[in-house]
Amino acid sequence: MSDIILRTKDLTKKYQNKVVVDSLKLEIREGEIFGLLGPNGAGKSTTMNMVCSIVRPTAGTIELMGKNLWKSKKEIIHRIGYIPQDLAIHGNLKAWENVELFTSLYGIKGAELKKVVEESLRYVGLWEKKDELAKNFSGGMKRRLNIACAIGHHPDLLIFDEPMVGIDPQSRNFMLEKIKESNQNGATVIYTSHYMEEVEAICTRIAIMDNGKVIACGTSKELKETVASGNENITLEEVFLILTGKKLRD
Amino acid sequence: MIRYLIKNNFKLMLRNKWIIAALIVGPVIVIMVLSSAFQGLMASYEGMDEFKAGYRIEEGSIMKGSILAVKEAGREAGIILTEYPDGEPEELMENNELAGFVKFEKDAYTVYESADYVTEGMMLEYFINRCMSEGIDMALQTAGVLVQAGNAGQKDIELPYQKLDYMPAIDSVDYYGIIEIVYFIWMSVVFAAGVLTEEKKNGIERRFWVAAVSDFKLYMSKWIPIVLATIIGIGEAILVTVLLFGIHWGNILLSAAVLLLLIMASAAFGLMLYYILKNLAVTVVALFISVWFMGFFGGSFETYMFSNIPDVMKNASPIYHVNRALVEYSCMGHSAYTKSSVLYLLAIIFVCTFVAVLAEGLRKRGKV
Repeated sequence: MSDIILRTKDLTKKYQNKVVVDSLKLEIREGEIFGLLGPNGAGKSTTMNMVCSIVRPTAGTIELMGKNLWKSKKEIIHRIGYIPQDLAIHGNLKAWENVELFTSLYGIKGAELKKVVEESLRYVGLWEKKDELAKNFSGGMKRRLNIACAIGHHPDLLIFDEPMVGIDPQSRNFMLEKIKESNQNGATVIYTSHYMEEVEAICTRIAIMDNGKVIACGTSKELKETVASGNENITLEEVFLILTGKKLRD
Repeated sequence: MIRYLIKNNFKLMLRNKWIIAALIVGPVIVIMVLSSAFQGLMASYEGMDEFKAGYRIEEGSIMKGSILAVKEAGREAGIILTEYPDGEPEELMENNELAGFVKFEKDAYTVYESADYVTEGMMLEYFINRCMSEGIDMALQTAGVLVQAGNAGQKDIELPYQKLDYMPAIDSVDYYGIIEIVYFIWMSVVFAAGVLTEEKKNGIERRFWVAAVSDFKLYMSKWIPIVLATIIGIGEAILVTVLLFGIHWGNILLSAAVLLLLIMASAAFGLMLYYILKNLAVTVVALFISVWFMGFFGGSFETYMFSNIPDVMKNASPIYHVNRALVEYSCMGHSAYTKSSVLYLLAIIFVCTFVAVLAEGLRKRGKV
């Protein structure tokens, strides 16, 4: 069995009196593409923010690569690549300048930085556009640049927080292929999304969150069997709706 | 790591053409408007060659041994002082066409101003007040030395100066040319508008947090480019105003040194406000209000003509020290305010940097 790359124990986050993440127990194995699904307000992004050390938990622990995240942050943080839901890039910087800026945060410099910038831009298919200002890019190109800015330091754990919002099917397909390629090259991937088909297409295991807790976890097949044993035609979206309900969320 | 942050933040600031243009064109327009308005207002003042005033020294006055130095300084300032041992000041002013009259008593003095020469009378009052305060400062220093040496006696002290360092009147174009540049420098954080807005709007700060970049490094990665961009932007504004209006900066080296420190201090002050408020529009308003108050109570709006803000208040304002230093470099080539302005600006740099980094740390901790 593979090593555990991420383990959360009783992870809790409260904002005033509202519990957003509630005693969350999660184990993600090295080499997985782990999908995290959930309706709006389920606690997915807060969980990811805690795993990335952007948000400090109210209670519980996070172990990354066997070490306590908050105690050994400087030691292990460079092994994480975080692709936020927002397009966290500077519109008035050229594509290569954006990648250079964010990759340099991990201590890469000089000739190595130049090499890494080229690799990252080639990886997302933007090398030919390296000298263009990011503000002139299409939505899909900006999403690809957003990824390029997070992979230059070759992280062991890639965290994608709803990375496909508002992009065309071609760009989505390209990026899904790249995520699978990163995984084949050794990176563990955590992927949160509202798009069931893309999660089903790339994820080896999926957890469904609601009200701050994991309510189901397993492979796509296991989740379907849990909900509707023997019904081979049930979709992941139907499983999701059965588990989380059809009530509209805020 | 910080070098790439500085480099790219600097590029972002220079690519914001509208802000650069506003900070170059802004001072040019304001200097043009203010100096032209005040040139008209001060035309009567500037057109005067010299005027007459009378004085009397009563028995036992501390001015007895110093009146020659005061008369010499008066002559340099265009005030011809003549002694009138007898007669009522009002009558003497009327009969001799005097703009004013000064009566030096034992331990006080009274300035009479003629109703026919209002401007000249106010100038005389300003001149005498300045002579007395400078003389008293020097007398107190001498008295301090005597006390330390154990030679303090009961005898009356004379004002000890041999020659008064009277500041010549400065041209309104030079005055407003200098102080408006000072005011625009205080807005230097605006150069970082694009960077700060995008970082907040696009959630770029999160990338910095994930990469565990320290708050101090993040602060410096903005402070250094703001200083560099302001040097370029305001440098161009100074060049344009010198070429267009012939503004005279006097001692270039000292002026440049004080301006550089001022740029560093204003960048620190602006960033501190932003780190506390975390809203650029509110920061600019807060900055404008603080600078206006520092300027108003620092006497920026009155030093050119006449003084009505108490010295204690002026001395508390960093803008007063910087303005005085720069204006005196322009008209005299040196200034007694160099040391105080440098100390004030250094204090602002260190205190604001500390508060900004602390505020960011606390905000982050509170948020997470």
